[in-house]
Amino acid sequence: MNSAAIATHALTRRFGQFTAVDNVTLSVVPGQFFGFLGPNGAGKSTTIKMLTGLLAPTSGTIEILGMDFSTHALEAKRQIGVVPEGLALFGRLTASEYLRFVARMYGLDRDTANRRTEELLDFMNLANEPKKLVTDFSHGMQKKLALAAAVIHGPKVLFLDEPFEGVDAVAAGTLKAMLQRMIERGATIFLTSHVLEIVERLCSHVAIIHQGRLVANGSLEELRRGVAASLTGPEADEKLTLEEIFLRIVSGSQGESADEALQELSWLA
Amino acid sequence: MAGVEGGITSRLARGQYAALGWMRSRIFVNSLRTARGGAELGANVVSIFFTAAIAFGPSIGLGIGAYAMLEQGHPGGIVVLLWVLCLVWQFFSAMAPALAGQNPEMTHLLRFPVSFGSWVLLYLFYGFLAPSTIIGVLWTIAIGTGIAIARPELLPWAAVTLAIFAFFNLLLSRTILAWVERWMSQRRSREIVTGIFLFFALSLQLLNPALRHGRHDLPFGLHRETISLAGSHAFTVQKALPPGLAADAILTTGSSAARAAALGWLAAYSIVVALLLGIRLRSESRGENLSEAPRRTASARQQSRPLFDYPGPVAAVFEKDLRYLLRSGPLLYNLAAPLVMVFIFSSTYRYGSISAIRMQYAFPLAMVWAFLGLTRLISNNLGGEGEGIQFYFLSPTPMRTVLLAKNLFHGALALLEAVLIGTIIVFRFGPPAPSVAAATVAWLLFALPANFAAGNALSILMPYRTNLTRMRRERGAMGNGLISMFSQFAIIGIGALVVAPLAFYGHRWLATPVLLLLAAISFAVYWALLGKAEGMIQAHRESLAREVMKVSS
Repeated sequence: MNSAAIATHALTRRFGQFTAVDNVTLSVVPGQFFGFLGPNGAGKSTTIKMLTGLLAPTSGTIEILGMDFSTHALEAKRQIGVVPEGLALFGRLTASEYLRFVARMYGLDRDTANRRTEELLDFMNLANEPKKLVTDFSHGMQKKLALAAAVIHGPKVLFLDEPFEGVDAVAAGTLKAMLQRMIERGATIFLTSHVLEIVERLCSHVAIIHQGRLVANGSLEELRRGVAASLTGPEADEKLTLEEIFLRIVSGSQGESADEALQELSWLA
Repeated sequence: MAGVEGGITSRLARGQYAALGWMRSRIFVNSLRTARGGAELGANVVSIFFTAAIAFGPSIGLGIGAYAMLEQGHPGGIVVLLWVLCLVWQFFSAMAPALAGQNPEMTHLLRFPVSFGSWVLLYLFYGFLAPSTIIGVLWTIAIGTGIAIARPELLPWAAVTLAIFAFFNLLLSRTILAWVERWMSQRRSREIVTGIFLFFALSLQLLNPALRHGRHDLPFGLHRETISLAGSHAFTVQKALPPGLAADAILTTGSSAARAAALGWLAAYSIVVALLLGIRLRSESRGENLSEAPRRTASARQQSRPLFDYPGPVAAVFEKDLRYLLRSGPLLYNLAAPLVMVFIFSSTYRYGSISAIRMQYAFPLAMVWAFLGLTRLISNNLGGEGEGIQFYFLSPTPMRTVLLAKNLFHGALALLEAVLIGTIIVFRFGPPAPSVAAATVAWLLFALPANFAAGNALSILMPYRTNLTRMRRERGAMGNGLISMFSQFAIIGIGALVVAPLAFYGHRWLATPVLLLLAAISFAVYWALLGKAEGMIQAHRESLAREVMKVSS
């Protein structure tokens, strides 16, 4: 038994000739708030889909709380909650109907399902629209509902794909507080986000994937030290933000800055 | 944004048509890269062949009919042909939305500067490609050809009149579809339309015996004179309606003014229908939201009550699907259409020379018919999930359980449909013979698991996204539809092969045990396939999710 909450070994996914995720090995310990970053098309969503059972890996292994995902998928799924890229909502149910449905699919009894549904709707500020169908919700409201559905069964591991995208500042604050509370209670959170300030504030550990390969993995301080070591002059003494760390790691391998790229737009020159 | 000014032939509009045409052609070419796309093309070819076969025979009949009526000095018969043409065109379009064609999702055009005129033109253009239009146009040409051969001097007027008449029919079918779709999208209007529909069907039931005064006593104390007077009034009224006007415009000889007047009225009808369509499309082109949701936020914090309050995933999926059904106009329409048709046809065929044979087998035939409304649901049982399909893959509930719940739900619907249709048939024809009733029930026990086994396999291997708010044929539905139709024919054929010879040799009662044996085999096959469904779904989950989550273009 592996003691990690999430562990992958040589995880690979190919689509024909294209390798979207290439030999990724990582380990997330229980109780960790783990940020998984990468530019567009780097392989983040493909990785998260494999970790949650939406996509079969071409090769490699996945373990969730010590359970091999390929042989114990249903047991592993009982322990995880997911906000996937597509949100996985049933558009023609109301919010409460959807949450009750999800709760029953996870095997919660009726009273627990009803109680948690009401509490979550209140918490997420979704209780005032009891007859509105999910399809008519704003994107932010749908995101909050997807998050409520992901936590209703009390998962030990939570996978969040861009949870703050399209969510207003007030709601984002509420969500962050809830996620922090879950971490304090021992849950593990695996988060992808393009909002690096949020990742920096929430996550204790970060991995960066680029062109399908894991190019950095460690605590924020370890990443900072790693990047600073490659710098010279006054820059080496500055405390780098996560955005700077990310850009240096990713842009370094792309070999082109934003200013240089802009030169290619003749009509904006 | 839609609704910008600019003619339908402006440079911008022409560029947009070209772009849309190019986009559709690229989608078509790109779809051929996959085996699924190839299968879909093959299914389309077969479908076109069938449509042509359906259209071609009657068109020859209509052509010969038109010719014969004029040759034998019965020009009044032309109006009957035009009424048949008009009603069949509208009936095909309204009763089987799949025959109304495959529209692109017009709301996708909202983000572009498409003028309202172009919007309408595109809507009509896609109507031209619908099977119902192809059938209607073929029949129109056939009638025109018959007229031209019999009376060549009528050709110029007939050509113009039939062209306007065909355009009117196209407009009317598109208008009916657009408005029905609108009415079926919200609960309140859906209830009103259902009420009107039932009232109409019931009226037909009551009217039918009244019109058959030649063979039977008149009901409700009606006198033959009254019926005759009503018929005479109806004939006068129909002359002022489009088929009557079209016949007048073609056949009135001597006075060009009278012909022109009839043609003018026909054109006026077309304009009125176009205006009604315009009102509907104007709302759509402005980004109307067809939704169940109340326009204003409800102030009360009441939550909806559980419909099916049992624990466990089977009950959860059952309840979810029931809610989806109750909120989807097109799904309800598909279920109601067979009922309405049984209602109508049962009145038409109640009396006739071979009524004894018909009455004997009306019950099993109606049960077969009951299945047709469920075909789309059974053969694509994950198609309505949309993005929700991902949830099933994420949840700890095995997909086998999800399919089982869906099969139970569809089984309950089939039972309900069978009971309703059975009630209509018993009401119209009287109860069937015990041996026929028993054989029918045994066949149902065989057909249900057989349909579910085939449906589950098709749902996994050939899924497509079902649009729950729009009444139209979905992209990717053709291949699935064709195979599910063949499997239905096979299941019906097996039943007929068992019953027909036994009935012929006077051992009809033997059909029941034979069909029960087949039912046991069918259930065993279904159960075995359900056991394998988990593995099949996991093997196809990527294509399944991609197809079911796909936004139609």
